[in-house]
Amino acid sequence: MLKKSMSTFIVLVFTLVSISMAFAASAEGPGGNGRKGKYSYRKVCKACFKAGDSESATPKISPADHTMEKWKTVFENKNFKAFGCESHWGKLSDKDILDIYTYFYGHASDSPTPAKCQ
Amino acid sequence: MKQRYFEKCCTTITYRMIFLLATALFLSFQSAFASTLNNEAPGRKLAKQAVKDSVKWTTTDHSQHDILKQNFITGEETTKACLSCHSIAADQFHKTIHWTWLASGDKSDIEYGKAGYSVNTFCLSANAMEDEGCMNCHPGWNKKGIKAEINCLQCHNNSDCNVFTAFADIKAFLEDGDPETNEIIPDIQEEIKDATTGVGLPTRASCGSCHFYGGGGDGVKHGDLDSSLTKPSRELDVHMGIDGENFSCTRCHTTVDHNIAGRIYTNPAVSKRESLLDDDMAPKITCVSCHSSAPHKNDTKMNDHTDVVSCQACHIPTYARELPTQMSWDWTTAGKLKDGKPYHEEGPLRRPIYKSIKGSFTWDKNVVPEYKWFNGSLKSITVKDTINPGQVVKVSCPVGAESDLPSLIYPFKIHRGIQPYDKINKTLAAPMLSGKNGFWTTFDMNDAIKLGHEVLGIPYSGEFDYVETAYAFPITHMVAPKENVVQCIECHTREGGRMAAISGVFIPGRDISSMINNIGMLVIFGTLGVIILHAIGRIITGKNGRKEA
Repeated sequence: MLKKSMSTFIVLVFTLVSISMAFAASAEGPGGNGRKGKYSYRKVCKACFKAGDSESATPKISPADHTMEKWKTVFENKNFKAFGCESHWGKLSDKDILDIYTYFYGHASDSPTPAKCQ
Repeated sequence: MKQRYFEKCCTTITYRMIFLLATALFLSFQSAFASTLNNEAPGRKLAKQAVKDSVKWTTTDHSQHDILKQNFITGEETTKACLSCHSIAADQFHKTIHWTWLASGDKSDIEYGKAGYSVNTFCLSANAMEDEGCMNCHPGWNKKGIKAEINCLQCHNNSDCNVFTAFADIKAFLEDGDPETNEIIPDIQEEIKDATTGVGLPTRASCGSCHFYGGGGDGVKHGDLDSSLTKPSRELDVHMGIDGENFSCTRCHTTVDHNIAGRIYTNPAVSKRESLLDDDMAPKITCVSCHSSAPHKNDTKMNDHTDVVSCQACHIPTYARELPTQMSWDWTTAGKLKDGKPYHEEGPLRRPIYKSIKGSFTWDKNVVPEYKWFNGSLKSITVKDTINPGQVVKVSCPVGAESDLPSLIYPFKIHRGIQPYDKINKTLAAPMLSGKNGFWTTFDMNDAIKLGHEVLGIPYSGEFDYVETAYAFPITHMVAPKENVVQCIECHTREGGRMAAISGVFIPGRDISSMINNIGMLVIFGTLGVIILHAIGRIITGKNGRKEA
């Protein structure tokens, strides 16, 4: 019984640590494919517009609107309210969200390459 | 008898004064009424004639050309497609300052410009196009400078697609071999097709993508050019306002052989100020081009100012009216780290006041310009010029004086800097900022200067310090509606007026001339004395020039 509980506990800890590590921003960034994330983000905005849930297909929020720290808070808490279209964000896989997070973090206002300078 | 005569005198004088007053009032009312009837200033009328035809026309529909509807893989392919019809466009463009980044200056043996030896108070130098950070705004593909193929879409792309990053993304997706990312490529190519088939004259956004962000961010460099001009209100700019004339940049910045009028780098934007009535082929770049040199109503005093004061001096009361502009940049604080990492701090105007990679900044909004005599030329300091570190080094300053005839009083933004210089050679330093050995990576200013000077082929002693600098930018955009122009009293005032620093011209209200004052007093008291003497004479003699009945 104790052995079984320990195994379950270890698996649980491992899973939690893996998820945290995936979303935690390392020194180089969160570790997803930021380039892909840019298009995944645009895809969400387009889908949202198509469904009549937003006024424009063009993304209203740019990575350069906030700092890296702010994006870290938004994505680690999965708080996508500011983006609107919450139902569409809910359909994204963890991998897609990680890619979008990498895009926003890598082009934040205090990053070496803010999105507006691209 | 004498009493009766005195009363008669007084009555006559009173009637005469009333008559004079009534005449004066009548004349001023008549003048005002005439102005109301014919209230359009000649300069305004002329300008309306000059720009009345706003219909754009073209001899081709780019969306019908198959060559522009390809699935492009590289940026160079789009250029090839453009040049297949516009066969001499590249040859023309290669000769322009937009391509060469070179300008002539007052010293014929020095090349000026970003690709030359010019420096500034912002990112200091473009290191002869070797600093990659600056190359986002060079209109060639892949940051290769003048070795690259021209990028027609940098200016002629009227779509929302950022073709530069679109092609970089296609390249990366093709290289990563991930089937998932490869699926994105056709979507990107569709966006590129929107750009290639929708080309046109540069829009405010296309010019602004570089000129609004000069110096490394929105409103950093120019006080009168920032992203608020992408869709400005009439209040911000009467010409460009989307609720006003809705001019694009190209409406005034006219073009010949891809040379765009209006550049003020070292030499004047135009050789002489002339209206389209003088020369209908003249560029529409000066105010005079459309408004003439007597733009105000005929009966107003303002037309008397136009030979001394530029239109901008009165019609642009403040700059950076909607978004802040950077006023100073201090490089001495650059390189600080927090927990071993670079950081940045935001100020009250929601702009960075500190960045580890760049140093400290100050910002301001709605700024009153500084006024200087300006003949249209700017004198620049390059990395080859010797400086005096004991004084503020004027990296770029206007040339002109009251005695220098084309000079007028112009408004300027003066950006102040504290930047590195070579202590032994007494020259401004040009550190390399970007790249793996640049300051933004190593945070070692000495190494960065060494590398930057090697690239430029100029000596570096190995010792540097910091010096105070200033850079002047003429203010010429953000022309306010006439109801918001500078008021007379803001200049014609004894202390603290806008023209306080202007010398070489007598400004009534600000200046005192003892000679003019003495003459005036002499006239006033002389007249008064004569009147009094005359009156006394009449009272004493008891005669009014007529024989009594």
